[in-house]
Amino acid sequence: MKPQTTHFRFKASQTLVNDQIQQSLEHVYTGFHEGRLTAAANTDNWEELRTKGKAIKDHTIAHLDHYLDLLADSVEKNGGHVFFADDAEEARQHILGLAKANDVKTVIKSKSMVSEEMALADALIDAGIEAVETDLGEYIIQLAGETPYHLIAPAVHKSRKDVAALLSDDFKDGDPVPDAVQLTRMARSKLRAVFERADMSVTGVNFAVAESGSIALVTNEGNGRMSTSVPRIHVAVMGMEKIVPSIQDLSTMLRILIRSATGQRISTYVTMVNGPRKPDEEDGPEEFHLVIMNNGRDRLLAETRMRESLNCIRCGACLNACPVYRKVGGHAYGWVYPGPIGSIVSPVLTGLKDASNLPNASSLCGACHSACPVKINIPRMLLELRWRTAEGKVDARERTSSIKERAVWKAWRFGMMGRRRFDLGARVARIMIRPLSRGGWIKKAPPPISGWTVTRDFPLISPKSLKSLLSVRTKHTKRDLD
Amino acid sequence: MTDRAKFIAGITSDLGRTEMLVPSADLATAIFEDAEVARTRATHAVSDASSRSSDLVEHMAESAITSGWKVHRVANPEDAAELIGEICRQKEAKTVLRSTHDVLSTIPLEAAITSFGATLGVTALGDDASSTDRDKARESLFGAEVGITGVDFAIAETGTVVLHPRKGLSRLLSLAPPTHVAVMRPGDVLDSLDELFAMERDDFLSGELAGSMNLISGPSKTADIEGTIVTGIHGPLEVHLVILANS
Repeated sequence: MKPQTTHFRFKASQTLVNDQIQQSLEHVYTGFHEGRLTAAANTDNWEELRTKGKAIKDHTIAHLDHYLDLLADSVEKNGGHVFFADDAEEARQHILGLAKANDVKTVIKSKSMVSEEMALADALIDAGIEAVETDLGEYIIQLAGETPYHLIAPAVHKSRKDVAALLSDDFKDGDPVPDAVQLTRMARSKLRAVFERADMSVTGVNFAVAESGSIALVTNEGNGRMSTSVPRIHVAVMGMEKIVPSIQDLSTMLRILIRSATGQRISTYVTMVNGPRKPDEEDGPEEFHLVIMNNGRDRLLAETRMRESLNCIRCGACLNACPVYRKVGGHAYGWVYPGPIGSIVSPVLTGLKDASNLPNASSLCGACHSACPVKINIPRMLLELRWRTAEGKVDARERTSSIKERAVWKAWRFGMMGRRRFDLGARVARIMIRPLSRGGWIKKAPPPISGWTVTRDFPLISPKSLKSLLSVRTKHTKRDLD
Repeated sequence: MTDRAKFIAGITSDLGRTEMLVPSADLATAIFEDAEVARTRATHAVSDASSRSSDLVEHMAESAITSGWKVHRVANPEDAAELIGEICRQKEAKTVLRSTHDVLSTIPLEAAITSFGATLGVTALGDDASSTDRDKARESLFGAEVGITGVDFAIAETGTVVLHPRKGLSRLLSLAPPTHVAVMRPGDVLDSLDELFAMERDDFLSGELAGSMNLISGPSKTADIEGTIVTGIHGPLEVHLVILANS
């Protein structure tokens, strides 16, 4: 998928004035965020599980070379094939090649963010192959020609009316809008027909177990199960970080993933795939392929200050917790991964210069850090990326700050570093700023700080400083004591 | 150098090392638990589960309801047959398919289902089934109204039924028909996934395990349209858990 991270401000302001989407985004909070909080409260050892989850991921990433090697051996032992792809293009070409070599006509896709990185469905369609998204949300998004709005709720911004118009050509404006049950039934019958004729499936991977070569798929709808039951060929695609060492680690990871994603104790289906079907099985794919993709993740790995972002298990909890995501929506982030985790991953995977707005789209409130089931310190990495765009010290090309901006901050720093300078500056600012305010706010500041007030209001500085208020108070207290 | 070796060598160098650092033996097999400890714990879990089976069944029944199973308790195989027959009749089933789970052979299902004019089939292909046989079997699975299975295990923590597809147990049997009926016995219940994975770890490592394993917790569902939970998107709309008392 082509990054459009430069459009953040434009897309965000469009969403802010769209009442329908603002209403849909409420669900992200009431449905998922509150669901997660309840699930965590009902789990006795929740904090212990988070600590364990973090330890499992830290350990795995620190030995990623070993676990990838072990995983590849295990998958091959089970009769599966492994392909290592350096980037999205290599992965895409490999899968297209598999489809062509096997004369595949219909591919069913389960939800997979990694396949979004490859823009795989479009590539298959361009090659003349029917490629259908089967997760209901992804199916709606595919019909609309859009990209996912949320990691686990891709169509959260679509209303019933939008969905009705997408599912049925006959639906006209003014027609009674079908309810969610009717719409789901319509989608069921359309997709059933596709499942029955599918000859290849592409799924993501929630976890790959290195020691056994198994992959775990977590779904509520059952499309993941269809994908592993009907077609001749099953291709699973994963980012290279999605590994756990042992089958026992899986129970911990499933517990924290599912509770953090939807607030459920477990999803309706957890499907474990251990290679192709065995000869005496009734059904299942004859071939199993695992595609392990890098696509820039090596940069997250090599930069020790960003490495922790590879612990992410893509539950979406940080999106739901984020006051910024819940207002600007998923499309503003401009690439596959929205929200706080997207703001640290997208800049490194697609280029910080274009994505420099993303690390700034945060109030650093820390809600994402508290919500993360593997305790990723997202705010710390947002600051790291801000520092880079401000200073350009890691790579001068990443610097997006203007000479003017840097000069203002230099002056600010100078002023803040001395007591007298600070007092003098504050006194001058108090006098100068007063005529600019309207109702206690400055909506339009003069240069050189005019840029700051384009999207923000500046509060009027209080008429008396804390210091002077305190000194008066100290005098009073003294007098009272006397 | 193969692509794989090159890829992995790149990771090693990104980690700031010149050669792969293999974690110590225990870590390589299970980070937080020694393999032997896990095995002992698993053995205990099974004997413990059978001695506490009545508690576990209560817990399972409760969790299963939360997960969306319609839970039924029956005293004997005859009552089970009657109940399942009634479910099939209400669904106006014409074709009912079942697995070859042992527990099902104790239940007189045939009579209960043919009594109202439906047919009961068994899904069991041979090793040498042709692709035409497989296509036919798939067609009948997609056409059936009810699928009946036993359970390989049940998980009390989450209200989960565990199925290991194999000869006589199609992957689609618990997925394609709009109604799934699973029959369990008290001895099938384990506390949590921890015990299940600890117990089956050796099977997972042997490479002998079937191509897939399914954990099923309630009916297929989605909340992708305006956050409304709707059951029955791709899999069953309705799932029944029949708990058959020990005879």
